[in-house]
Amino acid sequence: MIENFSHYAFFIADGLRLTLILTVCSLLFSLIGGIAFAILRYQYWLRFAIDGFVSVLRGTPMILQLNFFYFAVPGLLGLPIDILTAGICTLGLNSSAYVAEILRGGIESLPKGQFEAAKTLRIPTWLIWKDIILPQVFRNELPTLVNEYITILKDTSLISTLGGMDLMRRSQTLAAEKFDYFGPLCVAGLYYYVLILVVTYLGKWAEKRWCHDNNR
Amino acid sequence: MITIVELSKVLGDRTVLKDISLEIVTRGSIVGLAGPSGSGKSTLLRCIQGLDEGDTGTIYGLGYKGFLFQDFQLFPHMSVLENITYAPIHVLGELDAENNARQLLRQLNLEEFADVFPGQLSGGQKQRVALARALAMHPDTLLCDEPTSGLDVVSIQDVVRILQTVKKTGTILVIASHDLEFLSSIADRIVILKAGQIVADLMPQVWKKDLNVLKQYY
Repeated sequence: MIENFSHYAFFIADGLRLTLILTVCSLLFSLIGGIAFAILRYQYWLRFAIDGFVSVLRGTPMILQLNFFYFAVPGLLGLPIDILTAGICTLGLNSSAYVAEILRGGIESLPKGQFEAAKTLRIPTWLIWKDIILPQVFRNELPTLVNEYITILKDTSLISTLGGMDLMRRSQTLAAEKFDYFGPLCVAGLYYYVLILVVTYLGKWAEKRWCHDNNR
Repeated sequence: MITIVELSKVLGDRTVLKDISLEIVTRGSIVGLAGPSGSGKSTLLRCIQGLDEGDTGTIYGLGYKGFLFQDFQLFPHMSVLENITYAPIHVLGELDAENNARQLLRQLNLEEFADVFPGQLSGGQKQRVALARALAMHPDTLLCDEPTSGLDVVSIQDVVRILQTVKKTGTILVIASHDLEFLSSIADRIVILKAGQIVADLMPQVWKKDLNVLKQYY
């Protein structure tokens, strides 16, 4: 039994690379996309377009979006898109919509006077966002953002439906080969769980490091 | 110098400011804006600063205007020193901004709080930091919204002393406050607003003998 599990663990570990690359790239994509959406929606002429885009991304299943990027977009563009790119675009964009909403909540919970005070001090708008507003928003919203990134990590498993050899797909392949679902799925679950524990720990560390109360 | 010509502002079905015309030209003077709550003092200050816009009328202003918020609006994630130096760094450069900030902190008896965060300060200390932050930008005009609100007697005396020092540098101070005692002790001119309109524009000789003269306009 233990021998089987260690064999499973080695075999499934090969999927770690894809899972991790997909998670890290999607996380960076969603962070940049989320910040851009959150800030640009304060431009009057972009608000409706961004709100509409965010609404569609949040209102359709992620597996549909993944299939759209992998099967429909190449047809539209006439360019093939590999599984990793489709995964990063889907997870990154989908999560951008959620991150934008998290940040919007954080921005709107700050006193309006923070922006006004910075304006009266003649601080350029981009510096107000970078140094005054976003640092406060990230401090307040870090626990919610960590939750979002845990969700990204778990959702990377959707790429297995396209044949991407991630942790999930490796465990399915092994299960089909060995006619044993219990062992491979338990091992894959354990990998995901440990990864999520690491993300949770990093989140808590970041909270302690950056979100100290300052006796506000 | 500030010139306001027939400024009006309506919020919903309420007239917040009605045909306000006012000229403030004397450098190194303190103009008090008095009036009961909801009379339009803060809105007028915000319009002068450009934070709000009037529906009709014009405001002409020369030079840079600093603003002291009623609730301070210090940046809570920055230390006292960072709060004061952050904006001037882009104008004066890092070294000059820090030297200037430390000098202001000394003048305002805040030297020991340079590395403290705003959340660890009392109301009076926050007010002084907010003042230092505004003064660090060398404003030609300083607009103060209720600078004594929520402060104890000692802190109010500190604010009076500091504002009088600022006045001596040639800065025009426009102070909105409902505290007549405070305004009468510091202002060179008091403009009284009621329901969005100027009902009196008075010089010190009017109220020096009897403060109740001001109250009759309320």
